[in-house]
Amino acid sequence: MNDKKTTHFGFQEVPVEEKAERVAEVFHSVAAKYDVMNDLMSGGVHRLWKRFTIEASGVRAGHKVLDIAGGTGDLSYQFAKLVGANGQVVLADINASMLGVGRDRLTDRGIAGNINFAQCDAQFLPFPDNTFDCITIAFGLRNVTDKDLALRSMQRVLKPGGRLLVLEFSKPQSEILSKIYDTYSFKVLPFMGKLVTNDAESYRYLAESIRMHPDQQTLKDMMDNAGFVRTEFHNMTGGIVALHKGIKP
Amino acid sequence: MANTFALAALASAEKMLNTALRYDPATRIGLAQLEGKILALQITAPAITVFVMPMDDELRLMGNWEGDVDTRITGSLLALAQLGQKEVHNLKDSGVTVMGDLTLLADLQRLLKNLDIDWEEMLSQFTGDIIGHQAAQVIRAKFGWMKDRAQSAQRLTSEFLTEELKTLPGKPELEDFYRQVDDVRLAVDRAAARVEKLIAERKP
Repeated sequence: MNDKKTTHFGFQEVPVEEKAERVAEVFHSVAAKYDVMNDLMSGGVHRLWKRFTIEASGVRAGHKVLDIAGGTGDLSYQFAKLVGANGQVVLADINASMLGVGRDRLTDRGIAGNINFAQCDAQFLPFPDNTFDCITIAFGLRNVTDKDLALRSMQRVLKPGGRLLVLEFSKPQSEILSKIYDTYSFKVLPFMGKLVTNDAESYRYLAESIRMHPDQQTLKDMMDNAGFVRTEFHNMTGGIVALHKGIKP
Repeated sequence: MANTFALAALASAEKMLNTALRYDPATRIGLAQLEGKILALQITAPAITVFVMPMDDELRLMGNWEGDVDTRITGSLLALAQLGQKEVHNLKDSGVTVMGDLTLLADLQRLLKNLDIDWEEMLSQFTGDIIGHQAAQVIRAKFGWMKDRAQSAQRLTSEFLTEELKTLPGKPELEDFYRQVDDVRLAVDRAAARVEKLIAERKP
């Protein structure tokens, strides 16, 4: 009898211990052109989704913010400006290539002094309990092997009253939009990936992983189970993306 | 979807505003001193709230803000636009209400009023220094001319209405009238006080 635990990697089932490695391969491959691809794939709308996340964060001067799966540092850049010299931002990513790109970009844009970089796994965050006023994870949770474990880990390092914001692809609310979106993700995305990064497979994984990610209500329930309160979600662009918010009691 | 469009509109407005501000260093220095303050611009018709936050030497416009607000200014779009155009010392009857720190509003209003975009610098980025300078001279002359015409039109209209048509009283006439009203009011006050004194004296 084979009792090996498996999880999904896109539409494939892979052993749990393999998922992180396979996700890492994808992001090592796309890191250099990640921003170009994001702009191309979303028509620049990903900037608006991130903008809304910043607005919903309530981050102010002096706050401590953890930007998990922060990748190329879009959110960290804004947070570093908001928290000011007395605050602190930690840009965390499990992937060294993505973190490297993010660190270089932020340094080039003059962000220093109130930012730290950490290569770490969202499931086992290496920070003391009750450290952060706000944690964000933008387009990262679906790549995490055990999402419940990651949510509990985030709950642990948040200060009581602190908020978690999960920005992630979700389920379109209209059937028509859903059909258009499916065609786009499975036909157009891998083609664009092939053109820009010469890597259709990584972008096929991207589309598949989005489909396998829990829908709005399921993720909200997962956040409730992890111990968050006042959980809610806001759909954006017809539910293609949703921002989930939860408070640590 | 509406949310995405609203975000896009705010992002574009912010980009335009900050692109313009890039060519006015004095205003940018002024803005940097207001960093961290939040102004809520609550428009009643149409119902929109925009949060304005000076950050570094730029302005951030946000549709949502869950923190504290230093100043909240509420009014219709028209009333707020009128407020932005002229220096107002008294908000009574302006249709605008302000809560919180009034100095932030005064500072922002002063910065907007003194906005002086360096057209030459902006144009020379695209055209080179010589053409940029010439084009900026033309723009400055046109703006100056328009400002002069607007001021003289206001003065001429006012003179026409008061002196030629005699439909409106002139400023000295109005002041004289106010003085007379004041005199009457004071006389009535004195008479009332006298009457009260007499009544008090006649009481046993």
